[in-house]
Amino acid sequence: MASKVTEKALNLIKSLPRVAISNVKDLPGTLYKKKTNRSAGRKKKGRGDKGQGARGTLDPLGYEGGQRPLIDAVPSEKYYGKYAIRRQYPPISLLEIQRLIDLNRVDVTRPIDVSSICNTRLYSLDVAKNHFGFNVTEEGCDLFASKVNLEVQWVTELVIAAIEKNGGTITTRYYDPQCLAALFDTQAFFEKGQPIPKCKLPPQDALAYYSDPNFRGYLADPEKILMAREKLAQKYGYKLPDLTDDPLKDLLLMRKDPLQIFYGLEPGWIVNLADKCILKPKDEDYLRYYSNVY
Amino acid sequence: MKTFFTFGNIVLKTSSKYNIPLKKFQASLSSSIRSLKNVQNTDDTTSAIDNSLPGSSASLSQVTKQPLMTSRDLKFPVHHTYPRLAWLDSLASLEGTKLGMIDLHPDVFGTYPRIDMLHKNIHWQKLYRHIDYSFEPSRAELPGGGRKPWPQKGLGKARHGSIRSPLWLSGSKAHGPRGPKSYFYMLPRPQRAMGLRVALTCKYGQNDLVIVDNFDLPTADPEYLYEMADVRFWGYSVLFVDDTDVMPEKITEAVSQIRGFNLMPAYGLNVYSMLKHDTLVLTLAAVEKIEGKLLDELHSTRVETKFVNRLRPEDFRTKPKEDSTLRKPFTKPLMF
Repeated sequence: MASKVTEKALNLIKSLPRVAISNVKDLPGTLYKKKTNRSAGRKKKGRGDKGQGARGTLDPLGYEGGQRPLIDAVPSEKYYGKYAIRRQYPPISLLEIQRLIDLNRVDVTRPIDVSSICNTRLYSLDVAKNHFGFNVTEEGCDLFASKVNLEVQWVTELVIAAIEKNGGTITTRYYDPQCLAALFDTQAFFEKGQPIPKCKLPPQDALAYYSDPNFRGYLADPEKILMAREKLAQKYGYKLPDLTDDPLKDLLLMRKDPLQIFYGLEPGWIVNLADKCILKPKDEDYLRYYSNVY
Repeated sequence: MKTFFTFGNIVLKTSSKYNIPLKKFQASLSSSIRSLKNVQNTDDTTSAIDNSLPGSSASLSQVTKQPLMTSRDLKFPVHHTYPRLAWLDSLASLEGTKLGMIDLHPDVFGTYPRIDMLHKNIHWQKLYRHIDYSFEPSRAELPGGGRKPWPQKGLGKARHGSIRSPLWLSGSKAHGPRGPKSYFYMLPRPQRAMGLRVALTCKYGQNDLVIVDNFDLPTADPEYLYEMADVRFWGYSVLFVDDTDVMPEKITEAVSQIRGFNLMPAYGLNVYSMLKHDTLVLTLAAVEKIEGKLLDELHSTRVETKFVNRLRPEDFRTKPKEDSTLRKPFTKPLMF
């Protein structure tokens, strides 16, 4: 049934005078009144009489009258050291991914990656804030029950176990900021009419993570990944589903090329939304540039 | 000749031209209600509207045969509350013919009446187009005042440096209003949509909302519309809203001659106009359009980007700005 509060209010306006321009009011207390008063004789502007308060010469915050202040006395612990250049991975939990799947906000018949999560418009990334993709957290790992091909940027061991237990596959993939900007607002990128960029390799401090089979890195040896899957299944005590005659085998083993950022589209191509066609480069120099790492 | 009917305190006035006895009015109303009860729900609602026969001279037997509209498919159905009901009326006769009863979406016609949101919308509608032209010249802009009126010392008078100082009677005004000032701002889009929903709710809740099949009138005489508003207790001002901006000729002619009655397409619907008029008359097509748009707005995941007015005075300049670098200085030829 309808909310009782709404019903009461609607019943009330039935008997009240007609709601018109002359009788609508804002909520009380919403109007901000300035304290400044320019009339003669009032010149203190609410700052009191004389002294530091009136003159704006109060001690700076943390100043302790000359003695060594606490902020200097305690050694600093630089949790936020080099914050401006650190890579950030905004979290998305397994529970949230399961919820997106249950509400049909993402399509499980296609591989799930940054663009499909951002296309829900419930999650967004910001290149200006050094976002480099999604970090899948462990919350809801017991409840996760979907067979998906997931491609994210940062995971833990338990997350990998939760997905592989249900027969799914997971890859960790690095995207450089330019590619990520194209991925999280695909339409805006295609409307610009720029060629699809080729993805750069991860920076040196991330190279170890993205070539590690234990984190299912996209640069890792596929055979080592198979071994790592077996190892993880034994560690957590579940039976790894056999993918050889799985109807979803093609979907689950779908991977992008390390230079590729969209499924089915190669770097260097231009998607023309106005004419609904794809323009492909023919010049050899272009082809060489877009097919090689450097 | 004029006749008067009294309902307690209310006096019903009818002119001789469109005189209708009150008993007939009541009879036709009750008969249409009775006929509604007899008819079962029809699934094909659109055909029901097309085949309807809103004839003013329809007899009681014809009224019972009319195909009636008894329900309507709602987009984004909700389970926490029930759909609101409204009569589908007709403008074909003075007293009206009840063509059916339609469902209205509770998220649009039964929201919480946020009066403050109405106020915000009206405040915005008044302010965004307001330009304050008041202007006071500063002491620099006033003529004269460059000379010291009298010497600093030796006269026994107060010291003054300019006759245009704010202290002087003929001087400037300190901190006066400066030039045309724009009060333009944009109310956030969700608040604008909520204002429309609340206004429609208030109109529906206070029985000031009339839904009709179309705006076809039997005559272009303004007296007819005036009588109709009188008979149906519509008040002094009525806003007619259709889904398109091409209206039938007769209603256009009639409305243009009545002060306080206005026609408006659905895309022009706004909170100020709705609250300015006593009664809101919507066509069924307008209801479909307005409800659909407001529901789409309510359920869209689009994120609003902040409105920034990037227009500069240069953009309004009609003449191109003169490029001083192109103009060659005139030099006199050397004369010997």
